[in-house]
Amino acid sequence: MGKIREIFFGFLLAFSTSAFAEEAGSFKQTIAAFSESVDGFFNDYTGWFVGLIFKSVPIGDVGFPIIVGWLLLAALIFTLYFGFVQFKRAGMAIDIVKGKYTDPNSKEDGEVSHFQALTTALSGTVGLGNIAGVGAALAIGGPGATFWMIVCGLLGMASKFCECTLGVKYRTVLPSGVISGGPMYYLSQGLAEKGLGGLGKVLAVGFALMCILGALGGGNMFQANQAHAMLTYAFDVPSEYGVITGLVLAALVFSVIVGGMPSIASVTEKIVPWMAGLYIGMAVIVIIANIDQVGAAFSAIFAGAFTGAGVAGGFIGALIQGLKRATFSNEAGVGSAAIAHSAVKTKEPITEGLVSLLEPFVDTVVICTMTALVITIAGLNVGPFDGSGLTGVTLTAASFTETAGVFKYLLALAVVMFAFSTMISWSYYGLKAWTYLFGEGKKIELAFKMMFCVFVVIGATIQFGAVIDFSDAAIFAMSIFNIIGLYFLMPIVKKELASFIARVKSGEIKTYEK
Amino acid sequence: MNESESCIVDLTRTLLKDGPKFLSHTLVITKSNAYLRPTVGAMMFCVVYIVVGGFLSSLAAYLLVVSTQYDLSIFVGGFGIAIGAFGIMLIQPFLRRVSFNKTSGVFDNRKDRNVKLHHIVSLQINNKIIQRKNALSYACYELNLLTLHGRRINILNHNNEDQLENDAVLLSMFLGVELKDYRREIIL
Repeated sequence: MGKIREIFFGFLLAFSTSAFAEEAGSFKQTIAAFSESVDGFFNDYTGWFVGLIFKSVPIGDVGFPIIVGWLLLAALIFTLYFGFVQFKRAGMAIDIVKGKYTDPNSKEDGEVSHFQALTTALSGTVGLGNIAGVGAALAIGGPGATFWMIVCGLLGMASKFCECTLGVKYRTVLPSGVISGGPMYYLSQGLAEKGLGGLGKVLAVGFALMCILGALGGGNMFQANQAHAMLTYAFDVPSEYGVITGLVLAALVFSVIVGGMPSIASVTEKIVPWMAGLYIGMAVIVIIANIDQVGAAFSAIFAGAFTGAGVAGGFIGALIQGLKRATFSNEAGVGSAAIAHSAVKTKEPITEGLVSLLEPFVDTVVICTMTALVITIAGLNVGPFDGSGLTGVTLTAASFTETAGVFKYLLALAVVMFAFSTMISWSYYGLKAWTYLFGEGKKIELAFKMMFCVFVVIGATIQFGAVIDFSDAAIFAMSIFNIIGLYFLMPIVKKELASFIARVKSGEIKTYEK
Repeated sequence: MNESESCIVDLTRTLLKDGPKFLSHTLVITKSNAYLRPTVGAMMFCVVYIVVGGFLSSLAAYLLVVSTQYDLSIFVGGFGIAIGAFGIMLIQPFLRRVSFNKTSGVFDNRKDRNVKLHHIVSLQINNKIIQRKNALSYACYELNLLTLHGRRINILNHNNEDQLENDAVLLSMFLGVELKDYRREIIL
């Protein structure tokens, strides 16, 4: 009887696996065809847009994207205009976070502690930009890209300071009682105050449009895609099964953004800081375990920054990749952070601007550098740096795994959680832009939310190509509209900063020693 | 303890910090009983987690049978169990029958100590704004009761203002107690 059962099960398994193999083959073809058509669609209809945003000017024998120069120049101008605020006022920013300017006895309902504010801010900065973005930057730009990422992070602190201050200053209470803020509001209202209402409206609408595209691209498809890429790397899951990853993620995203269940949002907010801690912990372990190689890794980073050895376009190539990926990671100048920071409970917009300037530092200068050290130490990223070998999240994961095999599982867990939380954040940015353009309303909001969930599945299913180019272009395009407005509005921020400092000095704003 | 201090009950304060962005329950009144019925929409969002958790757990079991990828099975299964358990935890408050029973004379919310109906002094409507870093802030409303001994217990907590108002009026009539409106303008 036992033998008969064994034969029966053996037959069943053989039959089911061969049928499964056949079905899997056809499934693979269907997904490949779908992938190709989506990629083709993006190429045909959005190629001009990508070309326009990343229009390059020749520098030597390499094309330098104007948009990268635009962001770098803006960060440099803000740094000079605010008198190196990121260095001179970093102590004040830390004091604000520590609660030096907050009366400990006047805590209001629902107000978060400064420690909570800090952990939330830090966890919000760690994401796939630090993991996959650094992997991509180093695969194409070599170790030298790290140096330019750090430079971009340091300068970007001033851009973030400026935009987040304005985000709080010009936030609006909508008819429903909901507080809404971000570049859409400071561009339209701030410029209207200066008698440039028409320009402000155009910039605000342009920003909102790009923000929606950025939310669907970099804030959604890129995240879902890299989450599945990580599963493919860690567990050999076939890439065509991305549709399953996409459906699971979309269902969870759907329940959060459509359902609005409070406990789910709370759980996500609680888990993400732990994931950030886990990631940083792993990086610290790798660095300490290879402490003797850290000096050599830094040498490679500095040497590569100015020679660009093995990088297409030499040091300009390394610079482009460093700046592009740093911007993608810390979002300074893009305007998205101003949306998130505008919801904060504060009477002083400048305090939020000062706190926010710490984010690019932690995100890019500290965490991206740690990832870059892990990759450089592992030695898996070798020239020529043309992205043909390991790249993105797989390069980072492989580098972590060089030290301990178990890291790939922990990284997979962290990547999935980061992708999920980033999608939730960007759904919020996208929704803000959507409601700015089309107004508030349950049906209007639901339309965006449903579309967002569909894009999660698409992002996890298709292969990269034109889609990621488009995602990148949309996020960078946000900065065009945002930065033009920031140039007009930066005197307002300077005035706010001067007023705050004067009131602190005069004792009007009390300090509370802990 | 100072006696005068112990008697102060601030009825303007909300009892719960959080609240859902949807209609979670409606009030149903029969002859001698009033109870809260969870809405289908609210249950659906919890079911999503249970379904996803169940799917991932089944997928893990399937992978364990057809392949030797134990690491993938554990990873997928772990996620499945966590998500499914989370869904079950979420759905539990919706399955709890909260009732005001005139026959037994008690209010039972399956959580707090039962309250005798004749100890209920009044009902209050309070409002609050739920703020999140990564989501649109929204208004939320509470219907709370006050007992003779100064205890306050939450009855309803959701963001459908009209429905909550309507349920509050019906419940105050059913219980024969005063309904007080403590909604205020909230400036953030």
